[in-house]
Amino acid sequence: MDFITFWLASMPLFSVPLVVAALGLILNERAGVLNLGCEGIMLCSALAAAAAYIEFGNSTALGLIIAIIAGAVVGFGFGFFVVVLRTNQVVTGITVVFLGSGLTGLIGVPWTNVALGGLQPIRIPGLTDVPIIGRFLFGQDPVVYITILLVAAVWYFLYRTRRGLELRAVGENPQAADADGVNVEGYRLLSATVGGAFIGLAGGYLALGSAKIFVFDMTQGRGWIAVALVIFARWMPWRALAGGLLFGGIEAIIPRIKALGLPIPQYFLEMAPYAVTLFVLIYAALRLRAGQDAPKALGMPYVRQDRR
Amino acid sequence: MTAALELEGVHKSFDGNPALVDAHFAASWGEVHALLGENGAGKSTLMNVACGLYAPDNGSLKVDGKAVAVEGPLAARALGIGMVHQHFKLVAGMTVAENIVLGHGRGTYRQSLKHVREEIAEIGGRIGFTIDPDARIDELSVSEQQRVEIVKAMVGGAKILILDEPTAVLTDEESASLLGQLRRLAAEGACIVVITHKLREVFAFADRVTVMRGGRTVEAGRPPSAYTPEQLSAIMVGEAREYEAIERVTSGTMTLELTGLMTRRDSGAVALDGLSLGLRAGEVYGLAGVGGNGQAELAEVLMGIRVPEEGALLLDGARIAYAQPRTLRRSRIAYIPAERYLYGLAGDLSVMENFVISHLEGGDYGLWGWVDRRAIARKTTEAIETYNILGARVATNARLLSGGNAQKLVLARELSGEPRVLLAHSPTRGLDVRACAAVHRALREAGRRGAAVLLISEDLDEVLSVSDRIGVINRGRIVGEFSAPGDRQEIGRLMVGHA
Amino acid sequence: MCRAPKRRGAASSASLPLTGLSMLRSRRLTIEVRQRVPTWLRALIVLGALIVGLAICVGLLLGRGVELGSIYDEFVVFTFFQAAGISTVIVQSTPLVLVGLSAALAFRVNYWNIGIEGQFFMGVVGATLISIFDVGPESIRLVLMLAMALLFGGAWALPSAVLKIRLNVSEVITTLLFSYIAYYFVLNQVYGPWKDPKDKFPHSPQFDASEQLPLIGWQQVHYGIVVAGAAVVFVWWLVERSRFGIQSRFVGSSPRMALPIGLPVALITAASAVLSGSMAGAAGFVMATATEFRLTPAMAAGYGFSGIVIAFLAGNRPVATLIVAFLMGGLYVAGESMKVFYNLPDALVGLIQAIIVLSVTASEFFVRYRLRMAHYRGA
Repeated sequence: MDFITFWLASMPLFSVPLVVAALGLILNERAGVLNLGCEGIMLCSALAAAAAYIEFGNSTALGLIIAIIAGAVVGFGFGFFVVVLRTNQVVTGITVVFLGSGLTGLIGVPWTNVALGGLQPIRIPGLTDVPIIGRFLFGQDPVVYITILLVAAVWYFLYRTRRGLELRAVGENPQAADADGVNVEGYRLLSATVGGAFIGLAGGYLALGSAKIFVFDMTQGRGWIAVALVIFARWMPWRALAGGLLFGGIEAIIPRIKALGLPIPQYFLEMAPYAVTLFVLIYAALRLRAGQDAPKALGMPYVRQDRR
Repeated sequence: MTAALELEGVHKSFDGNPALVDAHFAASWGEVHALLGENGAGKSTLMNVACGLYAPDNGSLKVDGKAVAVEGPLAARALGIGMVHQHFKLVAGMTVAENIVLGHGRGTYRQSLKHVREEIAEIGGRIGFTIDPDARIDELSVSEQQRVEIVKAMVGGAKILILDEPTAVLTDEESASLLGQLRRLAAEGACIVVITHKLREVFAFADRVTVMRGGRTVEAGRPPSAYTPEQLSAIMVGEAREYEAIERVTSGTMTLELTGLMTRRDSGAVALDGLSLGLRAGEVYGLAGVGGNGQAELAEVLMGIRVPEEGALLLDGARIAYAQPRTLRRSRIAYIPAERYLYGLAGDLSVMENFVISHLEGGDYGLWGWVDRRAIARKTTEAIETYNILGARVATNARLLSGGNAQKLVLARELSGEPRVLLAHSPTRGLDVRACAAVHRALREAGRRGAAVLLISEDLDEVLSVSDRIGVINRGRIVGEFSAPGDRQEIGRLMVGHA
Repeated sequence: MCRAPKRRGAASSASLPLTGLSMLRSRRLTIEVRQRVPTWLRALIVLGALIVGLAICVGLLLGRGVELGSIYDEFVVFTFFQAAGISTVIVQSTPLVLVGLSAALAFRVNYWNIGIEGQFFMGVVGATLISIFDVGPESIRLVLMLAMALLFGGAWALPSAVLKIRLNVSEVITTLLFSYIAYYFVLNQVYGPWKDPKDKFPHSPQFDASEQLPLIGWQQVHYGIVVAGAAVVFVWWLVERSRFGIQSRFVGSSPRMALPIGLPVALITAASAVLSGSMAGAAGFVMATATEFRLTPAMAAGYGFSGIVIAFLAGNRPVATLIVAFLMGGLYVAGESMKVFYNLPDALVGLIQAIIVLSVTASEFFVRYRLRMAHYRGA
């Protein structure tokens, strides 16, 4: 039972970065912007969080805020390239990933491999001690609960506000949105920036919440898993939460299994999240006919006077 | 009556190609004004300038006598200009109400929806529409979607309503009904502009007509009664169309038979409804019909990119599995597609590569994967000469060819394989008279060489002058067949009537 | 419709005042698609972009305390004008040519193979298998290893291609996932069954003499250049002179037309993906048999992105790939010595590559579009 308790308790640590990054990506992709630079943005903001934490008096709040700003800035830069300059979204995205890796390697040395205090879980007397699910539900750090709020907020924004409606229209049919006077470029640029901010929060949490350290290239593909997660979630926020719990659960179980000392080869365990992501993508393609639910203008630059 | 909408001295080019040259237009309050012209004359472009989608290089715009600058669609809407486009600008995955909220919401989301629902009911009542605000756009029929577009423009407070080829996708009954409603709106004081290429409508519904040709305004704002149909047609076209007298062929062996084809559009609406027709060797079969009755889907079936849910294709009596375009191509079924740069030519590749692409498999140009470039260059040069493709050398990018020459290149390629079946879908769209004639000659020649030719065209004159046999498609079925020359009145009736 | 005209437009603040493009009142800056792009203009723009990119990189280096004269010495003089330098560059470029070709083969049919490093690793795994199990007579050991590298590399790329073709699953993500899986598999092997018994380090036992690519006799250059050269020739023939080349060009430039015109699109895409994987495997073979002489987890670092950058800058053309790869090799070599001398981090080269790519890709905007001023009279 302890196994399950610890596993569940540690699950949100792994789920939160995925879910928050996925929310950012949903905002991006719903507006038609395919953000393949997610991994790079996460890495940059993880470093930003660690640096801010170390330099400004061990404040987690400040660290997270700086991370969000860093994510927004890189997101805006990416958005400028793909929305205004209309560069190829795949090439630009991948370049941002390696740019992130290079930049953090170049300027991040003073803050790398430094243990961080990080976020602490809350304690509600009585509730937190409930067996098995107590710590899972009531013993998490504040960001976990904020994440749930964010999921609800993104859902509400997309489906219950006019701006959200306009954003979705931009991703489905930019010509129609443009003819209605919706500022297509503006929405896409804004969504790239705000999406970047979300991804920034995910990266910041990775450094200050999950790992409590910044290590070179620490994202290890989580950005890509978030991209896959969005497809699996069919671009809907609550499903992204469910998917994030699934992936977080798998990631969380790896150290638990190692601790048990079972004779499973270590690196096959490490492979598990990636292999599961693959299966999930295949499942999504088979059962849910993904692509049908994708925003129809995803990945395509918009020019008003396109001829031929 | 003061002018509601006035455009003057408008110039517009797209990357050096002029689309509008000193175009002008004036429509008044309380009238239905027809903007007449052929495809490519500049009518849509001019109106797109008026509603803020295109920025002109030069020119002025006046609304209700006052000069204005229209920077974008919102500015146009603020001035009371609303446009219903030929290709609807509706978001398929959202409901009617959501689409209208998109441009015209007020207040919060909930408030907007409520307001829009009320408006839909009110406007619908006034004009005689009924629309379900919660229906998804992709579940509606084409004429229903058009109604949504009109209501949308009106919710936005449009006093000047521009409709681009509104009856192109409607049946005769729906067209008459629509035009009647537009007359009622005009009677209330609105300014209605109808872009059309149909003379019949101009004479039946318009108060005044403006004619455009080649990007210029050639006749401005006289009542239709000032012209005879022949005069107006001549002004529109510019040159009298003369078709060569041709030898008609009466029968040949059945090459390709289509039986009971049924297929749906993405929206779920039925496109082909049990369509059957037979193509005989040596004969040109012309398919006449109003656009949107299944022609595009039929072409897609013959190209192999759409698999019918029911029905069969029989080549020489034997059923072909039509899942793969490769099978069709190998059976020497060739096509000249309507969308030249989508399915006909690869713009970024050379003339040579575009010419030879269908013939590489048969070892025509080399075995074992090796390609004999000299032979290809030679054959391509021959084709360029035979078909008189101007502006083309073997290495020129296909995108640089003008419309007529690009089409000749497609013809050259498709005919060089000695096809048994040739589909020509709107082959002369956007071509000048000389290029048209060349295409028609090539189609007849293909027939003479034994191919079964299927010509799908929305231009009835074209169909009548080129075909040996004429079929009429309406709502996804063949509703009548005639031997050339056919009874034009009867054909017209079948085209616009209810199947 | 003809009620009192309400000015609703101004009140419905549906759009965001963000785009600077319509801020001018009676003039508007708009963009337009160019119909024709003269080659000289494109070349000029790309050149301009390269200069801007390089200038930024130089600026970055100067900011880190590197001296301008030193940059010139390292990047230009030593690298390209001294025998030892050129030899090092050639050695460094050899695997780069192969990963460049790998990326080019895939990208030209719009197949985004991002998992080049994974295929690289699997190529090495294949070659290592031959070495560990001493398969075959020594005289043809290297040939066998190359064959296995090609096979394993191609095979590792195949599942992603199938998933894309059959289920339309994005190859960007799947090739990358396979890359991570390959990496962890390699870790598993070198920490486990293939750990070198001699020094207990996490790498495979060193290859025997017969399993090492010999030097050609000039400086440090080895026979890997034969592999790279043969690859360039093969790919050039494939792309320029074969039926597959013309057909795949169609698939890449006009994907919607390719299927109805009768091309075997699925086959062409899959073949391109597999060939791409094989090239990556060949790159791994060269690294393994000429430089590292074993399987080690760090050997693929950066080759994936480098391959992508090379292919992108070379426009997916084989001969251009050779040239760009050579220049990239120069960048690597110069970067190495500067790293050591000025204590710059490993990620430097990747950063420089990213800056150059961003400059060039941004410049494509000016190639594809043109800015116009539209203006109304009498406003």
